[in-house]
Amino acid sequence: MLKFLIWLIVAVALIALPHGLSFSQQEILVFLTINILVVSSYRLLTLTGEWSLAHVVIMGVGAYASALFTKELGLWVPVSMLLGGLTAALIAVILSFPLFRMKGFYFLIGSFAAGEIIRLLWKHFRDPFGGAKGIKGIDPMPDFSIGIYNFDFFEPVSYFYFAGFIVAICLWILWRIERSPVGLTFHAVHWQDKLAEASGVNLRAYRTLAFAVASGFAGIGGALLAHYIGTINPNSFDLDLMVFVLTWAIVGGTGTFYGPILGCVALTILNEVVLRELGFEQMRPLIYGAILICSILFLPKGLESIVQKFTKRRAKQ
Amino acid sequence: MISKIMAAGLSRRTFLKSTAITAVGASLPSMSLAAGEPIKIGFLAPLTGAVAAWGKPGLDGCEIWAERVNAAGGIELSDGKHPVELVSYDNEYDPAKARTGATQLIREDNVSFIMMLGGDTWPGVQPVADKTGMLFSTLLPSDLSPDSTTLIAPTEVHPIYLVTGVDYLADTYPDAKTAVICAQDDALGLPSVATYLAAFEARDIEVLEEPLLFDPATTDFAPIVTRLMSSNPDIICLDTCYSDYVHPICEQLFQQGYKGKMISATADFYDQMIAKTSKEFMEGFIFQFPDFDDPALAGDNINFEDANGFYEAYAERHPGQWGAVSWEYASIMDLWKAAAEKAGSADPEAVITAMKEGGTGKHAFGDAKWWGTELFGIDNALVGDWPVVVIEDGKAVIKGFKSIPDWYDQHGDLLIKHMQAYDQMYDQRG
Repeated sequence: MLKFLIWLIVAVALIALPHGLSFSQQEILVFLTINILVVSSYRLLTLTGEWSLAHVVIMGVGAYASALFTKELGLWVPVSMLLGGLTAALIAVILSFPLFRMKGFYFLIGSFAAGEIIRLLWKHFRDPFGGAKGIKGIDPMPDFSIGIYNFDFFEPVSYFYFAGFIVAICLWILWRIERSPVGLTFHAVHWQDKLAEASGVNLRAYRTLAFAVASGFAGIGGALLAHYIGTINPNSFDLDLMVFVLTWAIVGGTGTFYGPILGCVALTILNEVVLRELGFEQMRPLIYGAILICSILFLPKGLESIVQKFTKRRAKQ
Repeated sequence: MISKIMAAGLSRRTFLKSTAITAVGASLPSMSLAAGEPIKIGFLAPLTGAVAAWGKPGLDGCEIWAERVNAAGGIELSDGKHPVELVSYDNEYDPAKARTGATQLIREDNVSFIMMLGGDTWPGVQPVADKTGMLFSTLLPSDLSPDSTTLIAPTEVHPIYLVTGVDYLADTYPDAKTAVICAQDDALGLPSVATYLAAFEARDIEVLEEPLLFDPATTDFAPIVTRLMSSNPDIICLDTCYSDYVHPICEQLFQQGYKGKMISATADFYDQMIAKTSKEFMEGFIFQFPDFDDPALAGDNINFEDANGFYEAYAERHPGQWGAVSWEYASIMDLWKAAAEKAGSADPEAVITAMKEGGTGKHAFGDAKWWGTELFGIDNALVGDWPVVVIEDGKAVIKGFKSIPDWYDQHGDLLIKHMQAYDQMYDQRG
């Protein structure tokens, strides 16, 4: 009952949240919501011990696929988004054949190369990907009304509700996967790979599964982004954004489900709200970098370790 | 700060207040100003990252412009004089951040006009412009299309002005008959490549290889330069490369012993390029953006007020920072101010109507006409003469002004042919 009440309060707070923010902060909230899905899906991949540098490009696969499904085939936007996620998962499965011949550092570099190949394909094939300029005029979510609320998807509040609903479902699925026997096997693949293999676990199959599922959700994140801003290009999914995703995960910590989310929320608010409002716009990259270094030096287990310390202390009391 | 935001999120008063603002926001933009109240102008461009060289110097120039205007009493509208206030937002050359910035500038800062670099960021802002009717400017007319009626390109006519540099090169060095082109593979590079191809073809200069389009993430230019030099061209064209690319490319050309001609859209911070290479190596480098201390900019044909004084103030405040865009956004502000004063209002629709009245306008480099239907589907680019600039004895010197419309009248079909080949015509983009 208490748990239900807490979730209810959280839901009400999230519904009320955008109304307490300025317009630009509402816009940032939309992007933050999408980024939470991307970084959470990335964590699922890291459960198996592999860190990919192609995750943001895979997110782009979802964005491009969804944009093309609506533009070229005229599919309904929510259907396109779902198909965008499936396309991203399918591409991940294809990529897994060469990539999972490698491990660790080699996988990292291999994933970067794979991502760059995909980005070059977007640039090279102006039809259908739009080349360097990408695709613009992507159909937005069609507006609708539910009686008490009119969803105008140009407005960030409406899109936040829509994206928040989708992301909440995705996070719940990711959570359930992590807590399922499959999720426990992902952990085993990372920490006890020899033992797991000896127990009959197909390591490569589980790594592929984690890669595909994580990519599918990243693809949905990309689709949510594409249909909100209405344009995408190969630079929208470049290494810079990948570095951000890595930074969110590292600063937040990857030991818990909420760690990367904490990192994403804290650093986005710091970067996009606090530093901008303080007038440090041009020093943001410098400050951002300094925070990353300080975090690695002084908080190696991420922000989640602070939460854990606090909750453990309370439990003891 | 964070707690303040979170606390505000749960406050009933804030909830009601923001709901009311949302309702009012539907009728944005609201442009009514009380006499003496500052007119806010938005500056939405990259101030950090690889493209910052085409944003930050522009903001610095605008601040000097605003100080000069405010010192002279401000902008005179029908209800009296108003000082000018600049509000900037760093879009990091990212369409999503540009959208957020446009939203903030229009809905929170109540700006009357927004200046952008354009390019990759414009498609993110276009829906905001459509919904709000806000007047935007771009430095890149290739953003223009019939769908964007509130977007104007009143100063820079990139990439069409590039033809003037090629014309000068062909006239001055008739023996230079072969060229190669390189550019970053993006929204700035591609239309520029198409324009250089047309300009070279118009002057019978053979382009030896397909233009070399490199990834914007490139950091090692040695192999690119090796490949460019491999066909032993008379001319190497650096297209519209960002200064972060022009500098290392020139450095590599110097190190690999290149001896031919060089042409580029820009040579921002060329003093640094000379320091990295040599005065002799950079001698004769052709580009399109003058230093405003040039005596040619004190002529009667120049509409940019006190160009030499503006440069002096800029150089004093930001030594070594003068670049292509240092004066461009300020020049746009000149046109906007004149139109707003003519209309007696800062309302976007009134300003654009006044600005385009008669089909001509006072461009920085002389009187020009609103042009562009064939290329952009809309006459929202102000096109006239453009200077050709050459580095001589370590200093940028204007070698003359050439007419872009005259070139287009003769060779427009070539330009359209190459633009179509690169899918850069307005009806092909996106």
